[in-house]
Amino acid sequence: MNMYRNIKKIGFSFLLAFLFLSCKNEDHGYHSVMDKIEGEGKSYKGVSVSSESYIDHIKTMEITTGEHTFLIPERKSKIKSYKCTECHAKPLKETQLTGSAKKAHWDIGIVHADKNTMNCISCHNGDVMDELKSLTGNPIDFNNSYILCSQCHTKQFKDWEGGAHGKRIGGWAPPRAALTCVNCHNPHDPHIASKWPVRYNSVKAEERK
Amino acid sequence: MSDTKKKWFSLNLNNTKKRTSSSCGCGKTEGGCGSHNTQNPIKKPKDGYQQVFDVKMDRRSAFKQLTASLAIGAGAVSTSCSMIAGEETKEKAQIDWEEQFKGNYKLMTDQEKNDTVNRLVRSYQLRTGKSINMSSKNAEEDVLFGYAFNISKCQGYMDCVTACVEENNQDRNSQMQYIRIHEMKDGQGFNFNEADDNYYHEVPAEGHFYMGTQCFHCDNPPCVEVCPVQATWREEDGLVVIDYDWCVGCRYCMAACPYDGRRFNWSTPEVPEEEVNKNQHYLGNRMRKKGVMEKCTFCVQRSRSGQNPACVEACPTGARIFGNLLDPDSTIRWVLENKKVFRLKEDLGTEPKFWYFMD
Repeated sequence: MNMYRNIKKIGFSFLLAFLFLSCKNEDHGYHSVMDKIEGEGKSYKGVSVSSESYIDHIKTMEITTGEHTFLIPERKSKIKSYKCTECHAKPLKETQLTGSAKKAHWDIGIVHADKNTMNCISCHNGDVMDELKSLTGNPIDFNNSYILCSQCHTKQFKDWEGGAHGKRIGGWAPPRAALTCVNCHNPHDPHIASKWPVRYNSVKAEERK
Repeated sequence: MSDTKKKWFSLNLNNTKKRTSSSCGCGKTEGGCGSHNTQNPIKKPKDGYQQVFDVKMDRRSAFKQLTASLAIGAGAVSTSCSMIAGEETKEKAQIDWEEQFKGNYKLMTDQEKNDTVNRLVRSYQLRTGKSINMSSKNAEEDVLFGYAFNISKCQGYMDCVTACVEENNQDRNSQMQYIRIHEMKDGQGFNFNEADDNYYHEVPAEGHFYMGTQCFHCDNPPCVEVCPVQATWREEDGLVVIDYDWCVGCRYCMAACPYDGRRFNWSTPEVPEEEVNKNQHYLGNRMRKKGVMEKCTFCVQRSRSGQNPACVEACPTGARIFGNLLDPDSTIRWVLENKKVFRLKEDLGTEPKFWYFMD
């Protein structure tokens, strides 16, 4: 009887030891990397490195959207023909040409949604040419064109705000800077065309023959 | 930790009891439960020479070490004492001598790290006449690097691969590449047997998707576990790194890695002088030699100074996201918390710090 009890005791202590020792990372005692992130992230005090110097050649502006505040490249100074009012002094209605005269901006073709959904004045403000406009007619600055895009592309916009869509510039360290919609997508033709890969591994191909 | 105090590695082939120090029921090696001796005697770390010499070893390996060292030593002595050899040759011999007997980088003090980096820079200058910049920057506090890869964004352009090869001075002859981009058929899931990682046609190809693999910097890395000489380890910021001068080239780690993340130098790596990236790190893109392992280091020379790895910077689609997992405001954390993420072969318990997600 006594022996049984002893065996039970030993077995139980083994089980206890196993439970404590099993599946623990040897150094920190975290079960998984997610636990580690949570555990060690609690006392996060910031980092000493900064990515400021990697973006100082780009003119940026700070925006706050949703819960996120970050930098995007300033846009207006990059548009060659801005300000639009340098030509379009009068509202669009008064300057519209009729007949066969060659149109300005003839090189811009709209390949964005279908003609039923969108035309030039879906985004451009025909009365104040230096501004864009929302679907409800409110002005949107050319620098904040992401607001315009966000009206339809809500899912992409949410991902972009959080950092899952679009391209980060500078480095991983704060401050966060990201490209805005129009830095990658041509707003008049937003689809990105297919192309050839930049390299081919001829050694690998040879080895696999 | 007894493991880090140990200045040499013994195989313990028949020793089934692996960690003797965690005999306490609390599972920790020190502190915590109160049954541990808190006054651990602090051993003075041994410096480079003693790491090699002050080691218990059998007669055979002792002789082996001695003869190898004598051969180099004799060469060094003959050149340094020679009347005809120039100053530079003597300096070169001195550097070779000190490099031969330096310790494992993992165990070096900051001063020793700095010394070896200076020697390597000087040695490169003596050999090629060109100067390089090499860093021994340690892991930053409050940093744990993580990576996310958007498989619905990757288009298979391979800009990342090119950037990686150029940044990390990979061998041009064998066309070594850390990153593989796999072209996979839609509807078949991650089927690596059917995937093509060396395609050359217009991309993205109809009916295919693309996903990249590289070293995942596992938090529980099996490659580190199997290394018989502790030439590879996980740094405090989560990077799994290799001391190329301590690696013996046994390729155990290559076999242990379930992700095909490691590469071996079958020949002396060659990079045309004008293409050598001269911004280097000891644990990163410094020139390797024949017979050692190498792999992605998340561009330690860039990431430790706040930059993104070269692949992240080169990707034109924004499919690659890199950041600090400990920073609650980082974009990588947002991805982990708001997207449906998964990892490769999660069931192995390797805890890779490389997540995949879709739009």
